Amino acid sequence: MIATFFLLALLQIKVPDAAQFVGAPKGTPLSGPQLEQQTMVISHELRCPVCQGLAIGDSPSIMASNMKAQVRELLERGYTEEQILSYFEKSYGQFVLLKPKFQGVNALVWILPIAVLAIGFVLVVSKAKKLEVEPVHAAAEEEPADDPYLARVREMVEKP
Amino acid sequence: MTATFGRFLILASVLVSTTGAFIAYAAGAKRSPEGLRWSQRFAYAFAGLMVLATGVMEYALITHDFGVQYVAHVGSTQVPLWVTIVSLWSSLEGSILFWGFILGIYIAATTWVNRNEHQEYMPFAIGTWLSCGAFFSFLIAGPANPFLSVSPVPLDGPGPNPLLQNHLLMIIHPPMLYLGYVGMTIPFGFAAAALLRGRLGQSFLRPLRASLLLPWVFLTIAIMLGGWWAYEVLGWGGYWAWDPVENASLLPWLTATAALHSAIVMERRGVLKGWTVTLIQASFLLTILGTFMTRSGVFNSVHSFTQSSIGPTILVFLTAILLFSVILLALRIDSLEAEGRIESAVSREGMFLVNNLFFVVFTFTVLVGTVFPLVVEAIKGKQMSVGRPYFDAMVVPVGTALLFLLGVGPALPWGKTNRKEMLRALLPPLITGAIALIIGYAFGIRNAWTLVTLLFGGYAAHVTFAQMWLPLRQRLKKGDSFAPALIDAQLRRGRRRFGGYVVHAGAVIVFVAIAVSSTMRTQEEVTLARGQSTTFAGYAVTFMGTEERAEPHRQSTIARFNISKNGQPVTTMEPRMNQYAAMREPIGTPAVHSTIGRDYYLSIMNIQGDQVGLLIINMPMVGWIWGAVLLMGAGGLIALIPARRRTYVVVPESAPTIDDEAMA
Repeated sequence: MIATFFLLALLQIKVPDAAQFVGAPKGTPLSGPQLEQQTMVISHELRCPVCQGLAIGDSPSIMASNMKAQVRELLERGYTEEQILSYFEKSYGQFVLLKPKFQGVNALVWILPIAVLAIGFVLVVSKAKKLEVEPVHAAAEEEPADDPYLARVREMVEKP
Repeated sequence: MTATFGRFLILASVLVSTTGAFIAYAAGAKRSPEGLRWSQRFAYAFAGLMVLATGVMEYALITHDFGVQYVAHVGSTQVPLWVTIVSLWSSLEGSILFWGFILGIYIAATTWVNRNEHQEYMPFAIGTWLSCGAFFSFLIAGPANPFLSVSPVPLDGPGPNPLLQNHLLMIIHPPMLYLGYVGMTIPFGFAAAALLRGRLGQSFLRPLRASLLLPWVFLTIAIMLGGWWAYEVLGWGGYWAWDPVENASLLPWLTATAALHSAIVMERRGVLKGWTVTLIQASFLLTILGTFMTRSGVFNSVHSFTQSSIGPTILVFLTAILLFSVILLALRIDSLEAEGRIESAVSREGMFLVNNLFFVVFTFTVLVGTVFPLVVEAIKGKQMSVGRPYFDAMVVPVGTALLFLLGVGPALPWGKTNRKEMLRALLPPLITGAIALIIGYAFGIRNAWTLVTLLFGGYAAHVTFAQMWLPLRQRLKKGDSFAPALIDAQLRRGRRRFGGYVVHAGAVIVFVAIAVSSTMRTQEEVTLARGQSTTFAGYAVTFMGTEERAEPHRQSTIARFNISKNGQPVTTMEPRMNQYAAMREPIGTPAVHSTIGRDYYLSIMNIQGDQVGLLIINMPMVGWIWGAVLLMGAGGLIALIPARRRTYVVVPESAPTIDDEAMA
């Protein structure tokens, strides 16, 4: 897998035909500080395929800096963030997207935590209500009557 | 010879821990004091064997006894002594042995501290600890045995992983992490004992809480040290990448923090017992899950140095303790239930419930994000990633909610309150929040989340500070003189409360520092020739040239940069590239210039002849994180110092009541 990525990387140091993947640029060409800023943002959303889970914006590897150069070039040519991400997705697979898309099974990764929050909220409210209205139980005795340790302690204490 | 002796010790500890666990459970079931004494002896014996075995391994490492497989694997005559000593935890087999060592000490110490107390629960607790001990002894004896012999005996070894050699933090970070991780076994044993006994009495809350707080302190510090290490060593200028191994350390911390909070409600109101026990068990399960994630090699991580075949064994153990916990909870949770009740949901106890909800959601989100790619790959055969942008998007709102509760929770009074009292408690801190917000805005902060963090952070800081010194203020109002009031109200009687608020103060700073350092960070990549300079974030950086330095285990290229501000020299920074004998790729070490307000961070991307590719990062407030986490640890320790045995005195009726509820 990684070897394939490497091969792809070697072959695609220059962006070949972004147009055949994602069509014509839909945004305005960027330059100057705005370009740098946007390059950094997108670089943190793409995974460096040869590193251990780092974004290309954080990785010192050669492959990552090549990919960053591609991002910069695409931005200069006026591609939007969405187009660039989809370009990389088409070249490397969804593996490269650090932020999974809300699509198919992957949507679960977004939905599950929110579902837990919602269910948890209902549970907390009902628990609080239950605890509020429940009558006070007689506090359980600190030690049960048949505790042999306690019996021994009593015995020792009560011994004259 | 050494190897044989080591193997003997480990086999003995398998035997001792297994037998001890049986005896302890039997003693618990029969309520036999004699059986309890025997199980205590077995606990001490297990600890003794583990300490001895670790001592043997250290001896083999220091004397470079390459006849022992682990020494042949990680030892080297070329590395400095400190590297040799810490090699114990630089690779899988040694680190599992180190785990056993710490487990032994924890078990023996807890057994000894409670040798004459909580006799009702102790046999079950010791039985559970020794069962865990038996598993780890088995792991050391079988799948991860460091004491295998090597023949023929090699003359030298490769030394430990270079990344672990290039920073002194490696001496302290792994032991801290182990102290945190392994320590979770102790509250797990106590919780299991409460469930097995079917009771959780008020007097047992103290050892339960203390046994949870101690590993919590270690884990807190360890997580910070791990982040700091990444920051100082990995060279990308960050401390947290939501990497699986980082997440693994965070997960039990989150549930343990939740448990420490619900334990307070349990203590005050006699409710939430089953829930607290569940959180404690979850914390232990998550440490074992974390060990699996780090050690099995199924996760890609920058922190994972050992990929091995013990994954399946740990998975079996994980399943066993999961079943044990779930079945035990299902059978016994009802016997622990409520002795009291809550008077009003909009009260401090109500906020504890919400706090627990958010901690659980936080834990769940991190867990889902970490495990999801694996599940998808297993089911659909497609690789996917869940990385920093996901975690930032999901966790930042949850964290912000927790910061909000950190302010509002302690501001609300216990029990039922009327509207007027509530407003009087909740409104004044808004002023401090607003001030923090304005200061941040004046410093150029425009990110909405960061501004909200400042507002809530200022609010929480106000509440925390007011609550922290409340007992002292009450004493002074009563007419006590300052020094005795300070010592008595804060450090003697109200120590747990005071410690808890010190932790909160640290947490507020951590929240703000994380928000500011991550959103206000700026960086630039430049290529400089010798003598050339560039200006970035107020400093002029001049490349002065490189120097080669040879050490026994590595060859370093040190690049020197002069840093100046307005023409005045500030400092010299020396980021370097290290070429280790045992590795092909060079590894960089960044240089950091820290001031109170910000860090200036230089990391070499590449060196070609007279040209250097340099990454310059300007990170405000990042140093505050390390300091504030240390403050949190200190607060935990303050709360931990055991109170003196209770003495009963007759309190005159006019004595003021101090709201000395216990935090954490």
